[in-house]
Amino acid sequence: MMINLPEMKTITKKIIIIILFSSFAWFTYGQPDANGILHQIDENLSSENRIFESSMTIHGRRASRTITSRSYVEGDKKSFTEYLSPPREQGTKMLKLENQLWIYSPSTDRTIQISGHMLRQSVMGSDLSYEDMMDDRKLTETYNAVVSGSEEFDGRTTWILELTARVDDVAYATRKLWVDKERFVPLKEELFAKSGQLLKRSVLSDVVQIEGRWFPKTIVYKDMLKQGDGTEFKVTDIKFNQDIPDYIFTKASLKM
Amino acid sequence: MKTAFKLAYRNLIGAGLRTWLNVIVLSFSFVVIIWLKGILMGWDYQAKSDMTNWEIGGGQYWHESYDPYDPFTLAESHSIIPQQFSDEIEQGDMVPVLMVQGTIYPQGRMQSITIKGIDPDQDLFLLPTHQLDTATDAVPAIIGAAMAESLQLDRSDHVTLRWRDARGTFDATDIVITDIFSSNVPSVEAAQVYIPLAILREMTMMQGEATLLTFRDPEAERPAVQGWVHKPKEVLTASVDRMIKTKTAGQSVFYTILLLLAMLAIFDTQVLSIFRRQKEIGTYIALGYTRREVVGLFTVEGAMHSIFAAVVGALYGLPFLAWQAEVGWTIPMDAGDFGMAMAQTLYPVYSAGLVISTVLIVVVITTVVSYWPSRKIAKMNPTEALRGRIQ
Amino acid sequence: MIRFLLKGLFHDRSRSRLPIIVVAIGVMLAVFMNAYITGFMGDTIEMNARFTHGHLKVMTRAYAENEGQVPNDLALTEVSALKEELSGRFPELDWAARIQFGGLVDVPDEFGETRSQGPAAGMGIDLLSPDSREAGRLNIQKSIVRGRIVQNAGEALLAEQFSRKLGVDPGDEVTLIGSTMHGSMSMYNFRVAGTVSFGVEALDRGTIIVDIEDARNALDMYDAAGELIGLFETGFYDDERALEIARAFNTPFEEDKDEYAPVMKTLTQQGSMGQLVKMLDVWGIYIIAIFIVAMALVLWNAGLLGGLRRYGEFGVRLAMGEEKNHLYRTLIYESIFIGIAGAFIGTAIGLFFAALVQKYGINISGLMEGSAMMYPSAIRTRITTTDYYIGFIPGLFATIIGTMLAGIGIYRRKTSQLFKELEA
Repeated sequence: MMINLPEMKTITKKIIIIILFSSFAWFTYGQPDANGILHQIDENLSSENRIFESSMTIHGRRASRTITSRSYVEGDKKSFTEYLSPPREQGTKMLKLENQLWIYSPSTDRTIQISGHMLRQSVMGSDLSYEDMMDDRKLTETYNAVVSGSEEFDGRTTWILELTARVDDVAYATRKLWVDKERFVPLKEELFAKSGQLLKRSVLSDVVQIEGRWFPKTIVYKDMLKQGDGTEFKVTDIKFNQDIPDYIFTKASLKM
Repeated sequence: MKTAFKLAYRNLIGAGLRTWLNVIVLSFSFVVIIWLKGILMGWDYQAKSDMTNWEIGGGQYWHESYDPYDPFTLAESHSIIPQQFSDEIEQGDMVPVLMVQGTIYPQGRMQSITIKGIDPDQDLFLLPTHQLDTATDAVPAIIGAAMAESLQLDRSDHVTLRWRDARGTFDATDIVITDIFSSNVPSVEAAQVYIPLAILREMTMMQGEATLLTFRDPEAERPAVQGWVHKPKEVLTASVDRMIKTKTAGQSVFYTILLLLAMLAIFDTQVLSIFRRQKEIGTYIALGYTRREVVGLFTVEGAMHSIFAAVVGALYGLPFLAWQAEVGWTIPMDAGDFGMAMAQTLYPVYSAGLVISTVLIVVVITTVVSYWPSRKIAKMNPTEALRGRIQ
Repeated sequence: MIRFLLKGLFHDRSRSRLPIIVVAIGVMLAVFMNAYITGFMGDTIEMNARFTHGHLKVMTRAYAENEGQVPNDLALTEVSALKEELSGRFPELDWAARIQFGGLVDVPDEFGETRSQGPAAGMGIDLLSPDSREAGRLNIQKSIVRGRIVQNAGEALLAEQFSRKLGVDPGDEVTLIGSTMHGSMSMYNFRVAGTVSFGVEALDRGTIIVDIEDARNALDMYDAAGELIGLFETGFYDDERALEIARAFNTPFEEDKDEYAPVMKTLTQQGSMGQLVKMLDVWGIYIIAIFIVAMALVLWNAGLLGGLRRYGEFGVRLAMGEEKNHLYRTLIYESIFIGIAGAFIGTAIGLFFAALVQKYGINISGLMEGSAMMYPSAIRTRITTTDYYIGFIPGLFATIIGTMLAGIGIYRRKTSQLFKELEA
């Protein structure tokens, strides 16, 4: 392959710049590898399985509502949620296996698979869509990550990670993560469109240590294009590495 | 027969005011019927030509999964344009439109819309697509007046548009409203944004694809194309036909009453003529006319009212109808209520068929009504009649 | 003299019978025509009122602003109290709450799994309260294609075309997947009671009609409703009164900044209905004017004919020495009697027919393929107070004017020729 001279020159320049800057950064911050950080986050947050109770507060235009639920999660492919309150939602169950999602409503005694356009509906009126919950691929599988800097956020020093999609079927082309340098807990995340437009932002707080892990108990999730105060998700009780019987993750358990 | 007409003519002219009153009433029927029917025909014509100019052209090919009443189908209803249409598209006689679901956020509110990609250089539709050819900081877009009003958007306003590409990845950008058009066709305005086809294809990674193909020529043979459904013009305008049918039914009661009234006058006149002109009738018979011929004579006389009426009607009706066709009939109807094309101003359309059939119908009815009382003549005793004895 | 004239009219049937019949027929046609035009013209307006706008409609301000999007999260709450208040304050209207909603209709197979599914536009209306008139208002009974109207809670009507697409028959159960007032996903089962035809493609493709209480349960809209519509008990829109009522209702809220405060809008304040009402009024007047002129001409002619009919009689009377002026006057008096009698009889018969057509309508469904909700199967007249006097204008005046003009001939008669005429 022929490469003409001016082109060769620019390429050389670029390489020099990259080398210069990266070494500069390395020496200044002792910056770790971004994938390493993501891995650390995984270590910290994921577990074989967990059972937790949570409350979700949705700030609507007119009023706020709180919905509580109990969830069983195994790995990152299986989850089962049962809504506990308010009375209207009580008994509604949701099962997620791989990339399939079913909802059971006790009043109709029907189990409906949520697919296609229905995935884009909001979960219980929140700023979260079913689809947002569904994507369970590891960030390291779908995104190339680089550390782009460091910043003080909410009184903690954080790494800023920039994630760029490396597969073409993800919902968000790029993401930005603010990760606590000591605890390896993300404190803020922003989701961007292909054009670079900010679409959604979540802010994580109430980081506590549970069973030796650092865990953010509160997440405020907001659709940035829409007006409103977003959705607040609070974990009220969480237990890791529990015995969850297999039948929980079957469609039959929805009707129980 | 010629004498019959001559006689009838003289008699009618001789009757003066009485004849003219009848004639004027009858001529009203002519003009009003032609005018009202003309408005309906004008409506039909206008609705269809508005649809042609804004929405359906000479007919369309729909992607087989496209369903205008189910926005969820849009995700699947797009594919590469069949090779056989490339010439027609090249010549500008077929316009491809790509449709994608999107969301816009005017003032932080959220509204689902359809993004339509269309060639800025097309001239098949009246859409001001040339306004999409402007270089701006954002994607140029045109929207309908109805939507501009409901979303409170104005020309040169920026608004965020969000969509997903073919693989489902979110994308968002600002669009700038470069023009707002008003079309009388709600279905091309409601909840949709037009942007350049090339940009939409790039945005969604749907190169060479389309959802709808609209062609100019309604006459040409249209072959079946795999994956696409041919929708001829008649099918796409069927809703208009139905609307017109209802209105026609409503109007015909009105014509009937107007005609009944005119016929009441003719009937009354005929009854009187026969009553007063017994001597004349007797004379005719004495002169060797058969009774049937005399009946014919009177019938022709009555029927001639309608001929006069046609002439008188033409005298003032032609200028009136021509003026109406010129200025139209303005109605502030909210076409959106019916979901079909309807213009603010309707221009009546009169066809030769309409005029001829109206004249024929009125003449026939007048003849029948004139004949009815004349039958009495056939029962007259000629000698008594000749003596003027009332029978 | 009046008695004498009346006697003459009664005894000489040729003097009275035919002219009265002609006047009566003319007046009858005029009265019927007026009622018909009012009904026909008003029909478009009344249909809009019944289906969407009401004669008056109450919504929250926020809902009214985004009405096109059917934003149930902005719906009215505590509707029963509001409805009671409205019924108390404005009893001349019938108030009914309605909920419009969007969603999916999902049809299960024998295992409860989704067999077919389609997007639906829903309408929750009061179908089950014993005193509700909503079903009749929307012409539902006549639009039923299969099955029957909703009679029990939990039943729904589907657009016929929609039911075919989903493969659903009356008696089947379907699940409505919608979104509650608060944005949660909701599911609710309905048994399909029947299917209806609207005659408008957009509605035929995906409409579900349910009782409003079911809609409330399904959408978590307890005692809430998107809109409260009011329709005049008379069945017809009265703009002046409607504006008065809306003003009376809205005034106390003027200071209120709450975007969920109720706001009342008249039919003419919604969309372009105002212009439409005005236009139809004007055109109604034009058409009736044309018709009245035509009828006046006919009656005028009848007056002339009446004069001619009695040509001989006048000759005799003049020959006997009756004053021409006197003869002319008696002629006018007679025409007044004829006019009044004809107008009375005509108005009575015209009103009778108009009332019949108002009640039963002129069936035009034969022209359509079957009956449909959005297309009236019958055209109805509408009797207004105008109908009680409109016939007298042409009936009386045209007859008198006709007689007056015909009577002028009397003055042209020469006494010298009278005997010659009489001899003949």
